[in-house]
Amino acid sequence: MKRRKREGPVVARENDMFEITLSSDDRSTLLHFVDQLSEILAMGPDDVRLRRLFPTAYHENPEHDAEYQGYMRDELTQSRAASIAVVKEVLESTELITAGQLHAFMTVLNNLRLVLGTLLDVGEDDFEDDIDENDPAFGQWQLYGYLGWLLEWTISALSGEDN
Amino acid sequence: MIFIAPSGSQQTEVAEPSVDIATDEVVDLQVPWVVIVWNDPINLMSYVSFVLQKLFGYSKAKADILMMDVHEKGRAVVSNGPREKAEIDVFRLHEHGLWATMQQDT
Repeated sequence: MKRRKREGPVVARENDMFEITLSSDDRSTLLHFVDQLSEILAMGPDDVRLRRLFPTAYHENPEHDAEYQGYMRDELTQSRAASIAVVKEVLESTELITAGQLHAFMTVLNNLRLVLGTLLDVGEDDFEDDIDENDPAFGQWQLYGYLGWLLEWTISALSGEDN
Repeated sequence: MIFIAPSGSQQTEVAEPSVDIATDEVVDLQVPWVVIVWNDPINLMSYVSFVLQKLFGYSKAKADILMMDVHEKGRAVVSNGPREKAEIDVFRLHEHGLWATMQQDT
């Protein structure tokens, strides 16, 4: 008897295509959070929640950094918006997707984690499994854990490690 | 909205990367620039390694070593070159949510 290997939520298929096997409920929930990310991004890169999405480039030279941010920030915002547009299409359909689409999915999942992790003030020794269910941020920690789980599977699939 | 701070939570002061090197006003065009990735408690180790492989074409072994340096030593130099190239590398790392900065090599 051959034991069937359990598949994760992101699976490599033939011809370099991938399938995201999330339920429609999970897809709607993720879409909802992706929309919220869009809303925050629309407020501009100075929002404190976006601190990790728009880091300093010249850490020892504020003048150079101001110059850099002047010509790169808009481009970074546009790049994030483009990835979000790809991910919305991916989540709204159950068709197979390309590696490029899955890569966008990966970066947006990471963006969501970075914003949520910033809000939760995650430190090196914080683990979502340690959070008490009476903690007011329990739901946010659960989502943080879920995003990490999904991100790990996405990386495995893109790395060719899931088969 | 899930992205609101939990009640009673306090954000700790942001520890921006700091390096105690006096900056010369005159930028030496001959000295190459280095791109540094800093440790961050949020980015997954597997993610950092994967991004380094994808962006710079590094082998998994090399990317894992750099990722472990970031994790254990707090930072690692991941690329170098002229200023324009370093800026592009920093931009691509920022696009992927990594905490990257650049400075002239010393």
